[in-house]
Amino acid sequence: MNKMMLGIIDATTYMEPLQQLTLHRSVAAVPFAGRYRLIDFVLSNMVNSGIESIAIFPKYQYRSLMDHLGSGKNWDLNRKRDGLFFFPSPDLNIPSPHIGAFQHFEQHIDYFLRSKQKYALICNSYTVCNIDYQAVLKRHIDNQCDITEVRYQGRSLEMFVLETSLLLDLIANHAQTGYNSIVDVVRDHRHQLKICDYEHHGYVAVIDSIEHYFQHSMELLDPAVWRQLFVKSRPIYTKVKDEPPTKYTASAVVKNSMIANGCIIEGHVENSIIFRAVKIGKGTVVKNSIIMQKSQIGKQCELDRVIIDKDVKVENDVKLQGTEQQPFVVRKGTVQGEMINL
Amino acid sequence: MVKKKCVAMLLAGGQGSRLSSLTKNLAKPAVPFGGKYRIIDFTLSNCTNSGIDTVGVLTQYQPLLLHSYIGIGSAWDLDRRNGGVTVLPPYSEASGVKWYEGTAHAIYQNINYIEQYAPEYVLILSGDHIYKMDYAKMLDYHIEKNADVTISVIEVPWSEASRFGIMNTNEQMEIIEFEEKPANPKNNLASMGIYIFNWPILKAYLQIDNANPNSSHDFGKDVIPLLLSEKKRLVAYPFKGYWKDVGTVKSLWEANMDLLNEESELNLFDHSWRIYSVNPNQPPQYIASDAVVTESLINEGCVVEGSVEHSVLFQGVHIQKGAVVKDCVIMPDTVIGENVYIEKAIVPSDIEIPSGMTICSDDILLVTKEWLQAQNLEKVEKG
Repeated sequence: MNKMMLGIIDATTYMEPLQQLTLHRSVAAVPFAGRYRLIDFVLSNMVNSGIESIAIFPKYQYRSLMDHLGSGKNWDLNRKRDGLFFFPSPDLNIPSPHIGAFQHFEQHIDYFLRSKQKYALICNSYTVCNIDYQAVLKRHIDNQCDITEVRYQGRSLEMFVLETSLLLDLIANHAQTGYNSIVDVVRDHRHQLKICDYEHHGYVAVIDSIEHYFQHSMELLDPAVWRQLFVKSRPIYTKVKDEPPTKYTASAVVKNSMIANGCIIEGHVENSIIFRAVKIGKGTVVKNSIIMQKSQIGKQCELDRVIIDKDVKVENDVKLQGTEQQPFVVRKGTVQGEMINL
Repeated sequence: MVKKKCVAMLLAGGQGSRLSSLTKNLAKPAVPFGGKYRIIDFTLSNCTNSGIDTVGVLTQYQPLLLHSYIGIGSAWDLDRRNGGVTVLPPYSEASGVKWYEGTAHAIYQNINYIEQYAPEYVLILSGDHIYKMDYAKMLDYHIEKNADVTISVIEVPWSEASRFGIMNTNEQMEIIEFEEKPANPKNNLASMGIYIFNWPILKAYLQIDNANPNSSHDFGKDVIPLLLSEKKRLVAYPFKGYWKDVGTVKSLWEANMDLLNEESELNLFDHSWRIYSVNPNQPPQYIASDAVVTESLINEGCVVEGSVEHSVLFQGVHIQKGAVVKDCVIMPDTVIGENVYIEKAIVPSDIEIPSGMTICSDDILLVTKEWLQAQNLEKVEKG
């Protein structure tokens, strides 16, 4: 039990710049990389690092997140002991400018008190990478650190390892110390705690705006990038959908694209990410775009630098054009008709 | 145990010896099919989609992979508190070890399993066939016809009728005669090996059959003829739709190619009748800049850098640069090397076709490790 960690995922974040994709879902549930939700990455990293007790603290719009996670079975977290815990915030008015707000944890303090794990790992829900937290913990113990912060090229990835007992102290005393979150503690230098850095090597994408969402999605099309993210020995798990393999018809032309299962491709797809069960009609050209699950694109359409959320229907002969900085975003469940854009 | 109206018994112990080395280490129901499935997925998915939640799976030949694949049945939503999937391999008893000697004997050996649920009806299935069928409709028909036994039949071309077990029926679809592979067929209704029995009748006749030392303990050869001779009420249930026994390398290849046919009756994309399978958890497929992909089914985890035409690729397959894959079935995690040309072949799992090789023959070729080694030897001898 000595090297066991609690996994704590702070999914309370609301991000204004991602708003177009988070009207109906929390940031943690934003679809990414063709078949995943953002939270799949941190969750799979935790599971692959041997973490068996994971607590998720959601706040806004968490219906789709709960639907996605279910009992945690797809991550092997439907356990008799430990497993997956869901701790929604009973109070929406708690300010949470940073990850790891102690007031959120305090509302579910029983979880921390009951857990036997000596260490705790606190992460945000929107950092995409493939990391072994056991290596972070080993460094943390070897260097006798109080808190270890994972960084990438000098930037915090908002992943923190500390002893559970220290976390309990910080939660209990936050009113006296004035530290409202784990980030406050790490940024402050007036205390006696030993704060260490752990530099992560390998691909990292922090999804904090539509622009970055689009940019990082496009980066995935580089085999050198996806090979760092999708490692055979440390797979990324997600909710199973039982889609058939993707069907390419005689008229399909596909170049440099990532395509999930259950699609029917009759048109031209280039430099794009296509999620599960998408249909691309004949004569349609999709370039530099992201099309989320179950959206249907009609015939003879032209899409360039477009993000199409799930369950969208694009009728025949529709042209949609965005830019690198401002991809054209089509909201979930809407219809894009030829007449609408005239 | 909670009483069940209908219990399914799925015969999955067959070797499928005509599938050559594909079934050397695994039972025929576990043979990969359709880019992400194993043959047994179709029958198990039919059960769950038909509302049958109690399924005994009878295994015998090479059961390791099949057992671990089925697990507790979660992939097909058959992990149930009452019923669900139960794997039933042969077992030993006080009188000795009894292998399953025939399809009827396998069920006879598991009478105790069925009795736990005190069912009214027992559905006998085979794990060797590719088809989508609503067994609930067949059960309604069985009850409506007041039958003792209902046998599902499919119209086959007259020219092929002599390869099947043929049911001769009257106008009410009552079976009056059963002929196993008749030289001169009187009918073209072939048995699909799917039976619904009233359980008391099945139990009684399994016991009679088991006591007969001259019986081969097979449903088609022994039990059905016995029931007919005793004037029991046997009714044929006509099935329309796609049904294929993938018994040979050629028919396995054909059934895969059928999926690429736009007019195919076997629709894998039907959300109301999903075919479930154990998920391999791999990332989306990546189609590279130089790739060409047409008329194909491609599963997750594949990387295509070459050209894939009219083919089925299972999960984790890698088609390297310059390779051309045409009319092929490539099973999981196989690598097709650079500039390979391969046509009309089935390549089993975990094989690497070396760069530059050309594989093309008139017949459907099963490219195994042994075959590749033999090619290498030939090259050395010639060289």
